[in-house]
Amino acid sequence: MNDYDNIWLHKLKWSYLLLVVLTLMTPVIYVMYISFNANGFGANEYAFTMEWYGLIFSDALLIGALRWTLMLALVVTVIAVPMALLAAKYYKAADNKLFPVFLLLAPLFVPPDILGSALLVFFKNLNFAFIWLGDQVGISLFDSWFRLSFLTATIGLIIYTIPYSFVVILITMGRYRPEQTEAARACGANGWRAFWDIEFPQIQAGVFSACAFTIILVFNEYTRTSLLKGGFDTFTTVLISQMLNTGMSGQSYAMSALVSFIAIAIIGSIIILTMLRTESLSRIARAKADPVTS
Amino acid sequence: MASLTNKRTDGGTLTVGTQTSQLLEMLAPWAFRAPLIFMVLFFAIPMAMTVVFSVFERTMFWMEPGFTLFAYENFFFSARLVNFLNSMKYSLISVAICFVFGFPIAVFVRKSIPQVAQHRVVLLFILPFMVSEIIRVFALRPVLQRNGLVNTTLMDLGLIDEPITALIYSHTGVVIGEVLSFLPFIVFSGFLAMEAVPKFIFEVCDDLGVGPWRRFLDVILPLAAPGIFAGSVFIFVNGLGVALLPNILGGAGAVNAGLIATQAITALDFPLAMAVSAIMMTTLMALLWIGHRLFDLTKILTPLS
Repeated sequence: MNDYDNIWLHKLKWSYLLLVVLTLMTPVIYVMYISFNANGFGANEYAFTMEWYGLIFSDALLIGALRWTLMLALVVTVIAVPMALLAAKYYKAADNKLFPVFLLLAPLFVPPDILGSALLVFFKNLNFAFIWLGDQVGISLFDSWFRLSFLTATIGLIIYTIPYSFVVILITMGRYRPEQTEAARACGANGWRAFWDIEFPQIQAGVFSACAFTIILVFNEYTRTSLLKGGFDTFTTVLISQMLNTGMSGQSYAMSALVSFIAIAIIGSIIILTMLRTESLSRIARAKADPVTS
Repeated sequence: MASLTNKRTDGGTLTVGTQTSQLLEMLAPWAFRAPLIFMVLFFAIPMAMTVVFSVFERTMFWMEPGFTLFAYENFFFSARLVNFLNSMKYSLISVAICFVFGFPIAVFVRKSIPQVAQHRVVLLFILPFMVSEIIRVFALRPVLQRNGLVNTTLMDLGLIDEPITALIYSHTGVVIGEVLSFLPFIVFSGFLAMEAVPKFIFEVCDDLGVGPWRRFLDVILPLAAPGIFAGSVFIFVNGLGVALLPNILGGAGAVNAGLIATQAITALDFPLAMAVSAIMMTTLMALLWIGHRLFDLTKILTPLS
């Protein structure tokens, strides 16, 4: 049976799909709705206000946490995305693909609390081992390398985000034809030039999406960050402690809604941009393919 | 290459250039291996070390090298094991619900949506995933609570007389949370898996007069099995390991492996936390190994390479 024979069945399936997306989004949308209510959750009257949002920006603790979170997100992105790119190039050329793919995708399957605790204990032991080594040799240079800090949180988050970047970049690389690199090499370009001038422009959409993903994932991550960070607070840890200590205040609703807005706006604009881009590319391709009839 | 350039030019500066490029040529393969080395050092080794640390002896605030199976005893001969097995049961229920609701979407996208638009439709399911998990899970409280969105809506519609309290702070709450958190993954992995089911198969089935049920059981399911299995393992293991869900949505007895591990860390019982991690890693490895033997999981990645 063709799908278009029964157009209503087709529409029904579409509405089911959209209903599922809507259901998944309901809690988030509901939080956004509550965040504009002056009376907070569960009140009988709904009075629109932006007051809660104003309170966020007067909260020094939160602004400090936001700064740390953004820095963490940036550092992780700057390291993890090039690593994922290198790994994807390695994977493409590798003879034995099982080992790299297993290593790079396995973090997806390890639950956050398990990865976090394993790394926490590993880093603590490593730290003690380094201090012991330093004592033996008589230098204190290695002492604080693996104390829980910004560095350990960064390492944990790189491991968490690398599978996502790897997959996104690999998918865009699938559309690239390697003959182009060979052609560039034959014309005398070295490996780096062939990559930067020929291949990168064609896969940059994937690389930039990977960057956006990584930033959002790091920004949103709670478990691994809270286990591996040292003394500093990130956005999610502040949010959690607020939620657990004082319950969901109007302010926590506003904060949740705000970051949700931002994340959805980033991803939404990426989706729209890629759609527009493929649209215009296919229009150009169609124009080129059109026979000249005059 | 380097020797060729050397023969053509004999300027001093250029020799330096060739030396650098020689060095670069030598270093380049290692640059491509760097991510893998990083992953071995900070992912594979720490995960394997959980087994070693789990037999260390517990001290007041930390642990010291030694050999004791006390942490395992602590896990297997206490309420923890019951909780762990219970969380396995509810995790399996979540997997089944996710499959029933999510997999038909993957089939529909592959079968009935034009090729160019397929990826964009699947991207829709990334949208909820982009909102922090803690916000999504916490946001379920006002939705499922006694006076929350679901109960008030149902009461306004006159479908129920008094609020359903079993929706949250119970196993049901955890299952609802797991389904809402992990459903997109069965859509993604199902979508990848359906790559192995060519579109003409649907037409062949129609021509041969095969009904949708038999088509699903005898054709789609065997072909898409690797992807479905990978997605299910993902949901199952995360259902066992994400502490946030039972912590926020669960009631008495809703404790999974992730929660046991984090509670052990809070209680400074590091060997126990490592034992739980080791048990989880063993479970995961065993599942992946069985799946690989049964379906050859590398098939999922064929569309990628």
